[in-house]
Amino acid sequence: MDRKREIYSVELSGTKDIEKTDKEDGKEKSRGLKNKCLERKKNHQKEELKKELDLDDHKLSKEELEAKYGTNIITGLSSAQAAELLAQHGPNSLTPPKGTPEIIKFLKQMIGGFSILLWIGAILCWIAYGIQYSNDHSSSLDNVYLGCVLALVVILTGVFAYYQEAKSTNIMSSFQKMIPQQALVIRDSEKKTIPADQLVVGDIVEIKGGDRVPADVRLLSTQGCKVDNSSVTGESEPQARSCEFTHESPLETKNIAFFSTTCLEVSAPPVGTATGMVISTGDRTIIGQIASLASGVKDSKTPIAIEIEHFVHIVAGVAVSVGIIFFIIAVSMKYHVLDSIIFLIGIIVANVPEGLLATVTVTLSLTAKRMAKKNCLVKNLEAVETLGSTSIICSDKTGTLTQNRMTVAHLWFDHQIFVADTSENHSNQVFDQSSATWASLSKIITLCNRAEFRPGQESVPIMKKTVVGDASETALLKFSEVMLGNVMDIRKRNRKVAEIPFNSTNKFQLSIHETEDPDDKRFLVVMKGAPERILEKCSTIMVNGQEQPLDRSTAEAFHTAYMELGGIGERVLGFCHLYLPTDEFPETYSFDVDTMNFPTSNFCFVGLLSMIDPPRSTVPDAVTKCRSAGIKVIMVTGDHPITAKAIAKSVGIISANSETVEDIAKRLNLPVEQVNKQDAKAAVVTGMELKDMSPEQLDELLANHSEIVFARTSPQQKLIIVEGCQRQDAVVAVTGDGVNDSPALKKADIGIAMGIAGSDAAKNAADMVLLDDNFASIVTGVEEGRLIFDNLKKTIAYTLTKNIAELCPFLIYIIAGLPLPIGTVTILFIDLGTDIIPSIALAYEKAESDIMNRKPRHKKKDRLVNPPLALYSYLHIGLMQALGAFVTYFTVYAQQGFLPTTILHLRLEWENDNVNDLEDSYGQEWTRYQRKYLEWTGYTAFFVSIMIQQIADLIIRKTRRNSICQQGLFRNKIVWVGIASQIIIALILSYGLGSIQALNFTMLRPQYWFVAVPHAVLIWVYDEVRKLFIRLFPGSWWDKNMYY
Amino acid sequence: MTKTDKKSFNQSLAEWKLFIYNRTTGEFLGRTAKSWGLILSFYLVFYGFLAALFSFTMWAMLQTLNDEVPKYRDQIPSPGLMPYGLEEQKNLTDCTNGNFFEQKRPEYTACQFPLALLEACGGVDDPTFGYQGGKPCILVKMNRIIGLKPQGEPRIEYLKYFPYYGKKLHGSYLQPLVAVQVSFGSDGDVKEVMVECKIDGSPNLKTQDDRDKFLGRVAFKITMDA
Repeated sequence: MDRKREIYSVELSGTKDIEKTDKEDGKEKSRGLKNKCLERKKNHQKEELKKELDLDDHKLSKEELEAKYGTNIITGLSSAQAAELLAQHGPNSLTPPKGTPEIIKFLKQMIGGFSILLWIGAILCWIAYGIQYSNDHSSSLDNVYLGCVLALVVILTGVFAYYQEAKSTNIMSSFQKMIPQQALVIRDSEKKTIPADQLVVGDIVEIKGGDRVPADVRLLSTQGCKVDNSSVTGESEPQARSCEFTHESPLETKNIAFFSTTCLEVSAPPVGTATGMVISTGDRTIIGQIASLASGVKDSKTPIAIEIEHFVHIVAGVAVSVGIIFFIIAVSMKYHVLDSIIFLIGIIVANVPEGLLATVTVTLSLTAKRMAKKNCLVKNLEAVETLGSTSIICSDKTGTLTQNRMTVAHLWFDHQIFVADTSENHSNQVFDQSSATWASLSKIITLCNRAEFRPGQESVPIMKKTVVGDASETALLKFSEVMLGNVMDIRKRNRKVAEIPFNSTNKFQLSIHETEDPDDKRFLVVMKGAPERILEKCSTIMVNGQEQPLDRSTAEAFHTAYMELGGIGERVLGFCHLYLPTDEFPETYSFDVDTMNFPTSNFCFVGLLSMIDPPRSTVPDAVTKCRSAGIKVIMVTGDHPITAKAIAKSVGIISANSETVEDIAKRLNLPVEQVNKQDAKAAVVTGMELKDMSPEQLDELLANHSEIVFARTSPQQKLIIVEGCQRQDAVVAVTGDGVNDSPALKKADIGIAMGIAGSDAAKNAADMVLLDDNFASIVTGVEEGRLIFDNLKKTIAYTLTKNIAELCPFLIYIIAGLPLPIGTVTILFIDLGTDIIPSIALAYEKAESDIMNRKPRHKKKDRLVNPPLALYSYLHIGLMQALGAFVTYFTVYAQQGFLPTTILHLRLEWENDNVNDLEDSYGQEWTRYQRKYLEWTGYTAFFVSIMIQQIADLIIRKTRRNSICQQGLFRNKIVWVGIASQIIIALILSYGLGSIQALNFTMLRPQYWFVAVPHAVLIWVYDEVRKLFIRLFPGSWWDKNMYY
Repeated sequence: MTKTDKKSFNQSLAEWKLFIYNRTTGEFLGRTAKSWGLILSFYLVFYGFLAALFSFTMWAMLQTLNDEVPKYRDQIPSPGLMPYGLEEQKNLTDCTNGNFFEQKRPEYTACQFPLALLEACGGVDDPTFGYQGGKPCILVKMNRIIGLKPQGEPRIEYLKYFPYYGKKLHGSYLQPLVAVQVSFGSDGDVKEVMVECKIDGSPNLKTQDDRDKFLGRVAFKITMDA
């Protein structure tokens, strides 16, 4: 991954102080890292890590290293040696954290949730058969079949859920394998390119600028090498690397480059590459050890998993208690124990929504798919909802909130600040370009720049071209390319004769050019650098193309502009030029940059230019959405507080009118200590301050300020912040990309890794991967997550309702002795047949109101299945359905000859195989089989009635508050697919399979299909009335008891 | 049990106690008295309404039924047979043989069944129905089905027992029956005999159904214990 980290620094007069704290901070970070390691690990692991960190390769000389690793710096290892070492130490890659073994996952699906109840049902069936068989060897196998059917149901739904899970996990693993890394290694005296995971200890590798360091490497020869160590130590500035041993600690010495960090640049040829020796590989690298820390952080249950568990407990509780109560009733009513067991099975089957968990899985994976399209790749299906209940997002700044690219933001010339377009494509540069000063300034920007476009990118838009050069030079190159057109051409026309590159002592960059005007034989010296250093070298200033002496008032104007731009977190550069007189510097003059045989003062100051990594254009809107959705966005960055605050302000994390304690102190001219902290909405906290905070203080900080920016923090401190947020009972989302973020990602309720910038370790630890690294994608994720929570409520309410209609028959059968109204197998056909597609269809329901305008749900108060939902489903709609179905049942029996009064307590005779002349209400006599057939007709009629009323149930569940007319009856087409599927399945069962009779379905007279229709209409009307009252009287008793 | 477990157990116990009765808010099972009153009265009204509705629909449905004849006879197109015990019969109409005894409203009477028809099994000569003498009588009756008329040329001699007009109109009706007398030989070799009776000769009366062993036929076994 050749992504470059952007670097910003604000070069104000107080630079030195900042630098000093930076250094200390850096040390603190690595110390913090070590402490963290020690804290978070079990003892032996702790020791191991300590030992590893005690590695002393950085102290050894080249010869000692050669001896230690049995290698040669010039010829490298031999292939044979390498193969042997590879076999010994294993490949150079991080072992992904051990997932749950597949078999365990599978078994979990088999016994999790309701499965255990169904297994009990199946076993009871077999036991019942066993008892029957021991009494009577010719007893029917019905119970064995039922037991098998139940077992089959468990296995099928289990396999299905497992398959769904596995499918979504697979997306992830395929994604990870996309980018194999290559390494340039010297083996057998030859340079070879091999996959990086083939590297072994002792290999000599060459690293170019932009490469990822392929293993922990002791540098042997390099010049001007800089690495981005942010993923290890959290330092966002590039760190210089050299061959010298500079520090006792391996984390701080300059001659070790860490695995998976990025080598930003290596000085230009002749060397061009850094050479180093691999000293550790794979999990034994520093990064590998940090990554393994993440596995020490426990995976907490996702909120939706907790909710589903809660729901399963409720339903299982109802099933078991009703089952046991009626078992006792049945036994005390002198029923045979065997019969009572059969009743118990029926009650369990009726109470358990067999298809629901599979439906939930499908629903979640549908949402996961939808989110993947919106660049949120969900690794763990349950995490789909977590984002919806998120109440705090701890976001990175660079790359997530910002474009991750230095961009010219402001210019100052002619005593005026101009705004440059910082949007993603730079297209809209509106500032006044007519001034002659601009012409000079643009020339300096173009010429005094060493960055170049990589060749062969003619067709790529300017902003997307790859550039060789550091971040600010890249920004300037792109800026001038956009403003002036072909920069390379301009540079060619103004041939460079000499240059002094930027270095930290000079703090300026200078180059000398011939001019493009053939008549003008003067040389042009152009210079850019830290503004105050540039100003020191100037004696004049250009205003409207005219050179004017640099007086006090002009200098003041410069300072005001400089402070203003620096104060908004931008990196400011000054530009000046000087035309050398031809008499002193003729065309043939030979410039020598070492002796500096040319003037470096009395330049003409032309202008200032400031750069920033600008926020992504979609972010401010996304932050506003988060805010209206009641989600607190906290910025956690390793960057400088001023830059962090500026970006926070520009994206709205700190809103325009809120102040920090420091702001208030400044405004009121008070010392910071005297300001009442409650007055400040915003807070900018640095890593240094955070380090000194007790957990209580952190809690107070998080509770009292709604807008918080953590700056200069190390990835380790992210973990502390996450833990702090979780103490507030918040559901915390964390974004991260570095390996060091992985503990925080794991600790968070939902860890979000960056797809582009993120390391594999971060992606492994995360629950979700943002494919475009864009904060705005999180917001779409939140929206989807909230929608799925609402829709799951609807699905569950829909599915629970008919349980009562399935349960009541058994209860009435036991108590009133009616012929059984619906059979166990028939119930399964509802739960796993007609009801499946409709309940999935509810997942496609659109939100009823703007879900992004309400608070995130409270994870302990706003349950998925709350008492109103259960009561309304069971005791209102469920009971109405049961009544409707019983009307059909009684109608069928009465019209065939058995009046309701006759069938009361008829059960014993009805089921007696020896009674073949049972008299009905009209004096007719029925054989056992004729009665059985009538009973099956009753099952079918009951089934059809439930199905018809479930259509009404499906329609009313489309909304929880709004009228169906507001929601639109036909907007969700899938619901109609669901309704069609219900009817078609029922038709097939009755008329297609009705003649087979093994399934206990019969061909039903057509008119019986319509008996329950008035009840279905009643259900709809009743629910509309309920919703109307909820809308009319919000907060009323009705609202509280009827809104689920 | 560790300390923390114990604590959490005590805590949950306390939470439960608080849930059952919360002194400060006066909540019993999570609701105040007023709230309980409201919710119970709501359910009273709601269920009252549902009960009324159910009763009404059932009443309406029953109104559509005919007292005398069931609306449909889908499940019993054809009668079953059952072994049958003897009953008393009085003052029934003496009907002519060989015709359906079709009647018109308002009065339906049942045909008299002369016991003499059953000969030895009539119970007149032998009150033990032959059981004493090792020649037991078994009576086989046809299940009653309203309106049933055999078609074709049934080998039923007394068509006057058809049709049946239902319990209400035709209360004293007795369905046709036949008597089977089995005669075990005196030597006692045969102690068991399987008997199968079938309705024969009428195509609309089914006698072959795989599942229903009693549809138009009946099989039974007679065993003699020495």
